[in-house]
Amino acid sequence: MTSMKRLYDWFEVRLGIKELVEKNLTGYLLPRNINCWYSMGSIILFIIALQVVTGILLLVYYIPEADKAFGSVTAIMNTMPFGWLIRMCHVIGSNMMILFVMLHMLSTLFMGSNKSPRELNWLSGFILFTLVQAICLTGYLLPWSQLSFWATTVATNSVGAIPYIGQFLVEFLRGGKLVGAPTLGRFYTLHITVIPLTMAAVVGMHLFFLERIGVSTPPFGLDNTKNRWPGGVFRYDDHPGGIPFFPNYILQDMTSIALYFAIFAAVVFFYPNIFFTKDSFVQANPFQTPAHIKPEWYFLANYQTLKLFPNEFIGLSIQGAAMTFLALLPFVDRGNEKLPLKRPLFLTCFIGGLILYIALSIWGHYS
Amino acid sequence: MNISSRRKFLVACLGGIAAAGTGATLYPVYKYLAPKQADENGGKVSFRESDVPPGGAKFFDFRGETAVMVREKSGALIALSAVCTHLGCIVQWQTDKQDFLCPCHAGRYTPDGTVISGPPPRPLAKLPFTVTDGTISIG
Repeated sequence: MTSMKRLYDWFEVRLGIKELVEKNLTGYLLPRNINCWYSMGSIILFIIALQVVTGILLLVYYIPEADKAFGSVTAIMNTMPFGWLIRMCHVIGSNMMILFVMLHMLSTLFMGSNKSPRELNWLSGFILFTLVQAICLTGYLLPWSQLSFWATTVATNSVGAIPYIGQFLVEFLRGGKLVGAPTLGRFYTLHITVIPLTMAAVVGMHLFFLERIGVSTPPFGLDNTKNRWPGGVFRYDDHPGGIPFFPNYILQDMTSIALYFAIFAAVVFFYPNIFFTKDSFVQANPFQTPAHIKPEWYFLANYQTLKLFPNEFIGLSIQGAAMTFLALLPFVDRGNEKLPLKRPLFLTCFIGGLILYIALSIWGHYS
Repeated sequence: MNISSRRKFLVACLGGIAAAGTGATLYPVYKYLAPKQADENGGKVSFRESDVPPGGAKFFDFRGETAVMVREKSGALIALSAVCTHLGCIVQWQTDKQDFLCPCHAGRYTPDGTVISGPPPRPLAKLPFTVTDGTISIG
Protein backbone atom coordinates (compact mmCIF):
# COMPACT_ATOMS: atom_id res chain seq x y z
CA MET A 1 0.00 0.00 0.00
CA THR A 2 1.51 3.34 -1.03
CA SER A 3 1.82 6.18 1.45
CA MET A 4 -0.65 8.28 -0.60
CA LYS A 5 -3.23 5.50 -0.43
CA ARG A 6 -2.68 5.16 3.33
CA LEU A 7 -3.14 8.93 3.74
CA TYR A 8 -6.31 8.79 1.63
CA ASP A 9 -7.67 5.89 3.68
CA TRP A 10 -6.92 7.77 6.91
CA PHE A 11 -9.07 10.68 5.75
CA GLU A 12 -11.66 8.40 4.12
CA VAL A 13 -12.59 6.64 7.36
CA ARG A 14 -12.91 9.99 9.14
CA LEU A 15 -14.63 12.12 6.47
CA GLY A 16 -16.26 9.70 4.05
CA ILE A 17 -14.62 11.41 1.06
CA LYS A 18 -15.91 8.82 -1.42
CA GLU A 19 -19.50 9.45 -0.42
CA LEU A 20 -18.91 13.22 -0.42
CA VAL A 21 -17.49 13.14 -3.95
CA GLU A 22 -20.28 10.85 -5.12
CA LYS A 23 -22.98 13.09 -3.65
CA ASN A 24 -21.60 16.49 -4.68
CA LEU A 25 -19.52 15.83 -7.79
CA THR A 26 -19.81 12.62 -9.81
CA GLY A 27 -23.28 11.69 -8.60
CA TYR A 28 -24.59 15.27 -8.64
CA LEU A 29 -26.65 15.07 -11.83
CA LEU A 30 -27.76 18.09 -13.84
CA PRO A 31 -30.42 18.35 -16.56
CA ARG A 32 -29.22 17.07 -19.94
CA ASN A 33 -30.27 20.31 -21.66
CA ILE A 34 -28.32 22.53 -19.23
CA ASN A 35 -26.60 25.48 -20.94
CA CYS A 36 -23.64 27.83 -20.39
CA TRP A 37 -25.83 30.44 -18.64
CA TYR A 38 -25.88 28.11 -15.64
CA SER A 39 -22.19 28.86 -15.11
CA MET A 40 -22.84 32.55 -14.34
CA GLY A 41 -22.90 31.79 -10.61
CA SER A 42 -19.43 30.20 -10.79
CA ILE A 43 -18.11 33.23 -12.67
CA ILE A 44 -19.54 35.52 -9.98
CA LEU A 45 -17.96 33.43 -7.22
CA PHE A 46 -14.64 33.68 -9.06
CA ILE A 47 -15.03 37.48 -9.37
CA ILE A 48 -15.89 37.80 -5.67
CA ALA A 49 -12.81 35.73 -4.74
CA LEU A 50 -10.62 37.98 -6.90
CA GLN A 51 -12.20 41.08 -5.33
CA VAL A 52 -11.46 39.75 -1.84
CA VAL A 53 -7.82 38.98 -2.67
CA THR A 54 -7.12 42.29 -4.46
CA GLY A 55 -9.05 44.17 -1.76
CA ILE A 56 -6.90 42.65 1.00
CA LEU A 57 -3.74 43.54 -0.96
CA LEU A 58 -4.93 47.14 -1.38
CA LEU A 59 -5.57 47.36 2.38
CA VAL A 60 -1.84 46.80 2.95
CA TYR A 61 -1.00 50.30 1.66
CA TYR A 62 -4.32 52.19 1.63
CA ILE A 63 -4.73 54.84 4.36
CA PRO A 64 -8.40 55.54 5.23
CA GLU A 65 -7.84 59.15 6.20
CA ALA A 66 -9.21 62.10 4.22
CA ASP A 67 -5.81 63.84 3.98
CA LYS A 68 -3.90 60.72 3.01
CA ALA A 69 -6.32 58.45 1.10
CA PHE A 70 -5.72 59.98 -2.33
CA GLY A 71 -1.95 60.04 -1.77
CA SER A 72 -1.93 56.41 -0.69
CA VAL A 73 -3.91 55.33 -3.76
CA THR A 74 -1.57 57.37 -5.98
CA ALA A 75 1.41 55.67 -4.30
CA ILE A 76 -0.15 52.23 -4.89
CA MET A 77 -0.61 53.12 -8.56
CA ASN A 78 2.78 54.74 -9.17
CA THR A 79 5.28 53.52 -6.56
CA MET A 80 4.40 50.02 -5.41
CA PRO A 81 5.52 47.27 -7.81
CA PHE A 82 2.42 45.95 -9.63
CA GLY A 83 0.22 48.17 -7.45
CA TRP A 84 -1.45 49.49 -10.61
CA LEU A 85 -2.32 45.91 -11.63
CA ILE A 86 -3.85 45.06 -8.27
CA ARG A 87 -5.89 48.28 -8.14
CA MET A 88 -7.02 47.97 -11.76
CA CYS A 89 -8.12 44.37 -11.13
CA HIS A 90 -10.15 45.59 -8.13
CA VAL A 91 -11.73 48.54 -9.97
CA ILE A 92 -12.56 46.62 -13.15
CA GLY A 93 -13.56 43.54 -11.15
CA SER A 94 -16.16 45.57 -9.25
CA ASN A 95 -17.77 46.70 -12.50
CA MET A 96 -17.64 43.15 -13.87
CA MET A 97 -19.26 41.89 -10.68
CA ILE A 98 -22.27 44.16 -11.25
CA LEU A 99 -22.43 43.20 -14.95
CA PHE A 100 -22.32 39.47 -14.33
CA VAL A 101 -24.80 39.61 -11.44
CA MET A 102 -27.14 41.38 -13.86
CA LEU A 103 -26.53 38.72 -16.56
CA HIS A 104 -27.11 35.96 -14.00
CA MET A 105 -30.41 37.53 -12.94
CA LEU A 106 -31.52 38.15 -16.53
CA SER A 107 -30.77 34.57 -17.61
CA THR A 108 -32.53 33.19 -14.52
CA LEU A 109 -35.55 35.35 -15.29
CA PHE A 110 -35.53 34.46 -18.99
CA MET A 111 -35.50 30.71 -18.29
CA GLY A 112 -38.19 30.96 -15.62
CA SER A 113 -35.79 29.53 -13.03
CA ASN A 114 -37.06 32.00 -10.44
CA LYS A 115 -40.49 30.36 -10.42
CA SER A 116 -41.78 28.14 -7.58
CA PRO A 117 -40.21 26.54 -5.60
CA ARG A 118 -37.17 28.82 -6.08
CA GLU A 119 -38.57 32.06 -4.68
CA LEU A 120 -35.97 32.03 -1.89
CA ASN A 121 -33.11 31.61 -4.39
CA TRP A 122 -34.43 34.62 -6.34
CA LEU A 123 -34.96 36.74 -3.23
CA SER A 124 -31.50 35.98 -1.80
CA GLY A 125 -30.03 36.71 -5.24
CA PHE A 126 -31.88 39.99 -5.34
CA ILE A 127 -30.52 40.93 -1.91
CA LEU A 128 -27.04 40.05 -3.21
CA PHE A 129 -27.56 42.35 -6.19
CA THR A 130 -28.40 45.22 -3.80
CA LEU A 131 -25.37 44.39 -1.63
CA VAL A 132 -23.08 44.33 -4.68
CA GLN A 133 -24.36 47.79 -5.62
CA ALA A 134 -23.80 48.96 -2.04
CA ILE A 135 -20.25 47.61 -1.88
CA CYS A 136 -19.43 49.32 -5.18
CA LEU A 137 -20.95 52.61 -4.01
CA THR A 138 -19.03 52.60 -0.72
CA GLY A 139 -15.79 51.58 -2.44
CA TYR A 140 -16.20 54.39 -4.93
CA LEU A 141 -15.49 57.03 -2.26
CA LEU A 142 -12.31 55.45 -0.91
CA PRO A 143 -9.80 56.84 -3.48
CA TRP A 144 -10.94 60.33 -2.34
CA SER A 145 -10.74 61.78 -5.83
CA GLN A 146 -12.90 64.61 -7.15
CA LEU A 147 -15.03 62.01 -8.94
CA SER A 148 -15.51 59.80 -5.90
CA PHE A 149 -16.17 62.75 -3.60
CA TRP A 150 -18.81 64.43 -5.76
CA ALA A 151 -20.43 61.23 -7.02
CA THR A 152 -20.90 60.24 -3.36
CA THR A 153 -22.29 63.70 -2.61
CA VAL A 154 -24.90 63.29 -5.35
CA ALA A 155 -25.69 59.65 -4.45
CA THR A 156 -26.14 60.32 -0.73
CA ASN A 157 -28.15 63.44 -1.48
CA SER A 158 -30.84 61.34 -3.20
CA VAL A 159 -31.80 59.83 0.16
CA GLY A 160 -32.87 63.33 1.24
CA ALA A 161 -35.95 63.05 -1.01
CA ILE A 162 -37.61 60.72 1.52
CA PRO A 163 -40.22 62.83 3.35
CA TYR A 164 -39.69 63.78 7.01
CA ILE A 165 -36.62 61.65 7.75
CA GLY A 166 -34.72 62.23 4.49
CA GLN A 167 -32.41 64.98 5.74
CA PHE A 168 -31.70 63.07 8.95
CA LEU A 169 -30.79 59.96 6.93
CA VAL A 170 -28.47 61.94 4.64
CA GLU A 171 -26.59 63.39 7.62
CA PHE A 172 -26.50 60.02 9.36
CA LEU A 173 -25.10 58.37 6.23
CA ARG A 174 -22.49 61.10 5.77
CA GLY A 175 -21.65 61.55 9.45
CA GLY A 176 -22.18 65.29 8.97
CA LYS A 177 -23.98 67.84 6.85
CA LEU A 178 -21.64 67.31 3.90
CA VAL A 179 -19.43 64.50 2.63
CA GLY A 180 -16.16 64.66 4.57
CA ALA A 181 -13.69 62.74 6.69
CA PRO A 182 -16.47 61.08 8.80
CA THR A 183 -18.11 59.81 5.57
CA LEU A 184 -14.84 58.19 4.54
CA GLY A 185 -14.62 56.39 7.91
CA ARG A 186 -18.20 55.13 7.61
CA PHE A 187 -17.95 54.04 3.98
CA TYR A 188 -14.59 52.37 4.64
CA THR A 189 -16.05 50.35 7.53
CA LEU A 190 -19.09 49.37 5.47
CA HIS A 191 -16.93 48.48 2.47
CA ILE A 192 -14.42 46.24 4.22
CA THR A 193 -16.42 44.68 7.04
CA VAL A 194 -20.20 45.08 7.21
CA ILE A 195 -21.12 44.55 3.55
CA PRO A 196 -18.59 41.75 2.80
CA LEU A 197 -19.67 39.81 5.90
CA THR A 198 -23.34 40.24 4.98
CA MET A 199 -22.56 39.21 1.42
CA ALA A 200 -20.75 36.09 2.61
CA ALA A 201 -23.79 35.15 4.69
CA VAL A 202 -26.24 35.75 1.83
CA VAL A 203 -24.03 33.88 -0.68
CA GLY A 204 -24.04 31.00 1.82
CA MET A 205 -27.86 31.15 2.01
CA HIS A 206 -28.12 31.34 -1.79
CA LEU A 207 -25.98 28.21 -2.20
CA PHE A 208 -27.82 26.44 0.62
CA PHE A 209 -31.17 27.05 -1.10
CA LEU A 210 -29.68 25.71 -4.36
CA GLU A 211 -28.34 22.64 -2.60
CA ARG A 212 -31.69 21.92 -0.93
CA ILE A 213 -34.01 22.35 -3.91
CA GLY A 214 -31.66 21.30 -6.74
CA VAL A 215 -30.82 22.82 -10.10
CA SER A 216 -33.74 23.97 -12.26
CA THR A 217 -34.36 22.60 -15.74
CA PRO A 218 -33.99 25.10 -18.59
CA PRO A 219 -37.10 25.21 -20.79
CA PHE A 220 -35.21 24.88 -24.08
CA GLY A 221 -35.11 21.73 -26.22
CA LEU A 222 -37.89 19.97 -24.31
CA ASP A 223 -41.41 18.92 -25.30
CA ASN A 224 -42.81 19.71 -21.89
CA THR A 225 -41.67 23.19 -20.87
CA LYS A 226 -43.96 23.44 -17.86
CA ASN A 227 -42.78 23.74 -14.27
CA ARG A 228 -42.30 20.20 -12.86
CA TRP A 229 -42.90 21.14 -9.25
CA PRO A 230 -46.14 19.59 -7.96
CA GLY A 231 -46.42 22.09 -5.08
CA GLY A 232 -47.61 21.56 -1.55
CA VAL A 233 -44.75 19.31 -0.46
CA PHE A 234 -40.93 19.57 -0.40
CA ARG A 235 -39.27 17.68 -3.22
CA TYR A 236 -35.65 17.77 -4.32
CA ASP A 237 -35.59 18.53 -8.04
CA ASP A 238 -33.43 15.62 -9.19
CA HIS A 239 -32.41 14.78 -12.75
CA PRO A 240 -32.17 11.01 -13.24
CA GLY A 241 -30.09 10.18 -16.31
CA GLY A 242 -28.66 13.70 -16.30
CA ILE A 243 -25.05 14.74 -16.82
CA PRO A 244 -22.70 14.66 -13.82
CA PHE A 245 -21.39 17.91 -12.38
CA PHE A 246 -17.89 16.37 -12.38
CA PRO A 247 -16.28 16.08 -14.87
CA ASN A 248 -18.88 17.29 -17.39
CA TYR A 249 -20.31 20.53 -16.10
CA ILE A 250 -17.22 21.62 -14.21
CA LEU A 251 -15.52 21.74 -17.61
CA GLN A 252 -18.23 24.20 -18.74
CA ASP A 253 -17.70 26.21 -15.54
CA MET A 254 -13.93 26.34 -16.16
CA THR A 255 -14.48 27.31 -19.81
CA SER A 256 -16.83 30.12 -18.82
CA ILE A 257 -14.41 31.36 -16.14
CA ALA A 258 -11.51 31.25 -18.65
CA LEU A 259 -13.60 33.19 -21.17
CA TYR A 260 -14.55 35.72 -18.51
CA PHE A 261 -10.92 36.05 -17.46
CA ALA A 262 -9.89 36.73 -21.06
CA ILE A 263 -12.43 39.57 -21.31
CA PHE A 264 -11.41 40.87 -17.88
CA ALA A 265 -7.68 40.79 -18.75
CA ALA A 266 -8.37 42.51 -22.08
CA VAL A 267 -10.06 45.40 -20.24
CA VAL A 268 -7.33 45.55 -17.55
CA PHE A 269 -4.47 45.67 -20.06
CA PHE A 270 -5.97 47.44 -23.08
CA TYR A 271 -8.69 49.73 -21.64
CA PRO A 272 -7.58 50.28 -18.02
CA ASN A 273 -9.09 53.76 -17.82
CA ILE A 274 -12.49 52.78 -19.19
CA PHE A 275 -14.19 53.43 -15.84
CA PHE A 276 -12.22 56.60 -15.04
CA THR A 277 -12.70 60.24 -16.00
CA LYS A 278 -10.13 63.02 -15.60
CA ASP A 279 -11.72 63.85 -12.23
CA SER A 280 -10.61 60.40 -11.00
CA PHE A 281 -7.01 61.63 -11.04
CA VAL A 282 -7.54 64.83 -9.02
CA GLN A 283 -7.67 64.88 -5.21
CA ALA A 284 -11.08 65.68 -3.71
CA ASN A 285 -11.68 69.39 -3.20
CA PRO A 286 -14.77 70.08 -1.07
CA PHE A 287 -14.82 73.70 -2.30
CA GLN A 288 -14.90 72.99 -6.02
CA THR A 289 -17.53 70.89 -7.76
CA PRO A 290 -16.34 69.71 -11.19
CA ALA A 291 -18.67 70.06 -14.18
CA HIS A 292 -20.76 67.10 -15.43
CA ILE A 293 -20.45 64.76 -12.48
CA LYS A 294 -22.12 61.45 -13.39
CA PRO A 295 -22.62 58.27 -11.37
CA GLU A 296 -21.13 54.94 -12.44
CA TRP A 297 -22.73 53.23 -15.47
CA TYR A 298 -24.88 50.93 -13.32
CA PHE A 299 -26.55 53.88 -11.59
CA LEU A 300 -27.07 55.94 -14.79
CA ALA A 301 -30.62 54.63 -15.34
CA ASN A 302 -31.56 55.51 -11.74
CA TYR A 303 -29.91 58.92 -12.14
CA GLN A 304 -31.80 59.65 -15.38
CA THR A 305 -35.11 58.47 -13.87
CA LEU A 306 -34.65 60.91 -11.00
CA LYS A 307 -34.07 63.71 -13.48
CA LEU A 308 -37.21 62.85 -15.48
CA PHE A 309 -39.56 63.59 -12.62
CA PRO A 310 -40.08 67.11 -11.29
CA ASN A 311 -40.23 65.74 -7.76
CA GLU A 312 -37.30 63.64 -6.54
CA PHE A 313 -39.54 61.72 -4.16
CA ILE A 314 -41.76 60.54 -7.05
CA GLY A 315 -38.65 59.43 -8.95
CA LEU A 316 -37.36 57.51 -5.94
CA SER A 317 -40.78 55.97 -5.25
CA ILE A 318 -41.13 54.71 -8.82
CA GLN A 319 -37.67 53.14 -8.67
CA GLY A 320 -38.47 51.61 -5.28
CA ALA A 321 -41.76 50.22 -6.63
CA ALA A 322 -40.01 48.77 -9.72
CA MET A 323 -37.33 47.11 -7.59
CA THR A 324 -39.92 45.70 -5.16
CA PHE A 325 -41.96 44.34 -8.08
CA LEU A 326 -38.85 42.67 -9.53
CA ALA A 327 -37.90 41.21 -6.14
CA LEU A 328 -41.40 39.76 -5.66
CA LEU A 329 -41.83 38.63 -9.28
CA PRO A 330 -42.00 34.86 -8.56
CA PHE A 331 -44.89 35.57 -6.17
CA VAL A 332 -46.70 37.59 -8.88
CA ASP A 333 -45.85 35.55 -12.00
CA ARG A 334 -47.26 32.20 -10.86
CA GLY A 335 -47.94 30.59 -14.25
CA ASN A 336 -46.65 27.08 -14.92
CA GLU A 337 -45.12 27.77 -18.33
CA LYS A 338 -41.36 28.45 -18.40
CA LEU A 339 -40.59 28.83 -22.12
CA PRO A 340 -40.39 32.59 -22.89
CA LEU A 341 -41.90 32.15 -26.37
CA LYS A 342 -45.04 30.74 -24.78
CA ARG A 343 -45.19 33.70 -22.34
CA PRO A 344 -45.87 36.71 -24.62
CA LEU A 345 -46.65 39.16 -21.80
CA PHE A 346 -43.49 38.19 -19.94
CA LEU A 347 -41.36 38.34 -23.10
CA THR A 348 -42.72 41.79 -23.99
CA CYS A 349 -42.04 43.11 -20.47
CA PHE A 350 -38.57 41.46 -20.42
CA ILE A 351 -37.41 42.93 -23.73
CA GLY A 352 -39.20 46.26 -23.09
CA GLY A 353 -37.69 46.56 -19.60
CA LEU A 354 -34.22 45.76 -20.90
CA ILE A 355 -34.49 48.32 -23.72
CA LEU A 356 -35.85 50.90 -21.25
CA TYR A 357 -32.96 50.30 -18.83
CA ILE A 358 -30.32 50.54 -21.58
CA ALA A 359 -32.01 53.62 -23.11
CA LEU A 360 -32.20 55.40 -19.74
CA SER A 361 -28.52 54.58 -19.10
CA ILE A 362 -27.43 55.95 -22.49
CA TRP A 363 -29.66 59.00 -22.00
CA GLY A 364 -28.20 59.52 -18.54
CA HIS A 365 -24.67 59.27 -19.94
CA TYR A 366 -25.22 61.88 -22.64
CA SER A 367 -27.61 64.19 -20.79
CA MET B 1 -0.67 8.24 -30.23
CA ASN B 2 -2.82 6.11 -27.92
CA ILE B 3 -5.37 7.49 -25.48
CA SER B 4 -3.14 7.03 -22.46
CA SER B 5 -0.17 8.97 -23.86
CA ARG B 6 -2.53 11.67 -25.27
CA ARG B 7 -4.09 12.04 -21.83
CA LYS B 8 -0.64 12.32 -20.23
CA PHE B 9 0.31 14.95 -22.78
CA LEU B 10 -2.85 16.98 -22.08
CA VAL B 11 -2.35 16.70 -18.33
CA ALA B 12 1.25 17.90 -18.74
CA CYS B 13 0.08 20.84 -20.89
CA LEU B 14 -2.63 21.79 -18.41
CA GLY B 15 -0.18 21.42 -15.53
CA GLY B 16 2.27 23.68 -17.34
CA ILE B 17 -0.40 26.30 -17.99
CA ALA B 18 -1.55 26.10 -14.36
CA ALA B 19 2.04 26.48 -13.11
CA ALA B 20 2.66 29.44 -15.41
CA GLY B 21 -0.62 31.04 -14.30
CA THR B 22 0.22 30.52 -10.64
CA GLY B 23 3.67 32.01 -11.16
CA ALA B 24 2.26 34.97 -13.09
CA THR B 25 -0.15 35.61 -10.20
CA LEU B 26 2.24 35.09 -7.30
CA TYR B 27 5.16 37.09 -8.73
CA PRO B 28 3.32 40.48 -8.82
CA VAL B 29 1.83 39.77 -5.37
CA TYR B 30 5.30 39.01 -3.97
CA LYS B 31 6.84 42.11 -5.58
CA TYR B 32 3.95 44.24 -4.29
CA LEU B 33 4.38 43.01 -0.72
CA ALA B 34 8.20 42.78 -0.66
CA PRO B 35 9.84 45.46 1.53
CA LYS B 36 11.66 48.29 -0.21
CA GLN B 37 15.38 47.61 -0.60
CA ALA B 38 16.90 51.10 -0.36
CA ASP B 39 15.90 54.72 0.10
CA GLU B 40 15.47 57.04 -2.87
CA ASN B 41 18.77 58.79 -2.01
CA GLY B 42 20.71 55.51 -2.30
CA GLY B 43 20.53 54.85 1.43
CA LYS B 44 22.80 57.81 2.41
CA VAL B 45 21.93 59.94 5.42
CA SER B 46 23.45 63.39 5.95
CA PHE B 47 23.21 65.94 8.74
CA ARG B 48 25.27 68.77 10.20
CA GLU B 49 28.20 67.98 12.46
CA SER B 50 26.88 70.49 14.99
CA ASP B 51 23.75 68.29 15.44
CA VAL B 52 25.88 65.94 17.60
CA PRO B 53 27.16 67.81 20.67
CA PRO B 54 30.27 66.56 22.54
CA GLY B 55 29.21 63.71 24.86
CA GLY B 56 25.86 63.46 23.06
CA ALA B 57 24.22 61.21 20.47
CA LYS B 58 21.87 61.61 17.53
CA PHE B 59 19.51 58.81 16.50
CA PHE B 60 18.34 58.56 12.88
CA ASP B 61 16.77 56.18 10.39
CA PHE B 62 19.34 54.41 8.21
CA ARG B 63 18.18 52.03 5.43
CA GLY B 64 15.10 51.10 7.40
CA GLU B 65 16.90 50.53 10.68
CA THR B 66 17.68 52.81 13.62
CA ALA B 67 21.25 54.07 13.83
CA VAL B 68 23.09 56.43 16.15
CA MET B 69 25.97 58.90 15.81
CA VAL B 70 27.91 59.48 19.06
CA ARG B 71 30.45 62.19 19.75
CA GLU B 72 32.69 61.27 22.66
CA LYS B 73 33.79 63.99 25.06
CA SER B 74 37.19 63.83 23.32
CA GLY B 75 35.42 64.91 20.11
CA ALA B 76 35.72 61.56 18.27
CA LEU B 77 32.69 60.57 16.16
CA ILE B 78 31.33 57.01 15.99
CA ALA B 79 28.40 55.74 13.87
CA LEU B 80 26.68 52.56 15.04
CA SER B 81 23.60 50.51 14.46
CA ALA B 82 21.30 51.21 17.44
CA VAL B 83 19.72 47.75 17.24
CA CYS B 84 20.72 45.65 20.27
CA THR B 85 22.38 42.40 19.18
CA HIS B 86 20.46 40.46 21.84
CA LEU B 87 16.80 40.68 20.79
CA GLY B 88 16.60 43.74 18.55
CA CYS B 89 15.49 46.49 20.96
CA ILE B 90 16.85 50.02 20.40
CA VAL B 91 19.69 50.96 22.75
CA GLN B 92 19.50 54.26 24.67
CA TRP B 93 22.41 56.71 25.09
CA GLN B 94 23.18 57.44 28.76
CA THR B 95 24.71 60.92 28.71
CA ASP B 96 25.70 60.78 32.39
CA LYS B 97 27.42 57.37 32.10
CA GLN B 98 28.63 57.87 28.51
CA ASP B 99 27.52 54.41 27.44
CA PHE B 100 24.58 52.63 25.79
CA LEU B 101 21.93 50.76 27.76
CA CYS B 102 19.45 48.39 26.19
CA PRO B 103 16.25 48.86 28.28
CA CYS B 104 14.88 45.42 27.35
CA HIS B 105 17.40 43.20 29.19
CA ALA B 106 19.96 45.67 30.55
CA GLY B 107 22.68 45.01 27.98
CA ARG B 108 25.41 47.67 28.14
CA TYR B 109 27.76 48.85 25.41
CA THR B 110 30.67 51.33 25.32
CA PRO B 111 30.37 54.36 22.97
CA ASP B 112 32.19 52.38 20.26
CA GLY B 113 29.67 49.50 20.57
CA THR B 114 31.71 46.97 22.59
CA VAL B 115 29.63 44.84 25.00
CA ILE B 116 30.27 45.77 28.66
CA SER B 117 27.73 43.53 30.37
CA GLY B 118 24.40 41.74 29.94
CA PRO B 119 23.14 39.23 27.36
CA PRO B 120 24.18 40.85 23.99
CA PRO B 121 26.29 38.27 22.10
CA ARG B 122 28.04 40.73 19.75
CA PRO B 123 29.08 44.40 19.68
CA LEU B 124 26.88 46.97 17.92
CA ALA B 125 27.60 47.09 14.17
CA LYS B 126 29.78 50.02 13.07
CA LEU B 127 28.62 52.16 10.13
CA PRO B 128 30.94 53.88 7.64
CA PHE B 129 30.73 57.68 7.48
CA THR B 130 32.58 60.73 6.18
CA VAL B 131 32.77 64.31 7.42
CA THR B 132 33.08 67.01 4.76
CA ASP B 133 32.79 70.75 5.42
CA GLY B 134 30.89 70.21 8.67
CA THR B 135 28.45 67.69 7.14
CA ILE B 136 28.38 64.06 8.25
CA SER B 137 27.37 61.50 5.59
CA ILE B 138 26.61 57.94 6.63
CA GLY B 139 26.47 55.07 4.15
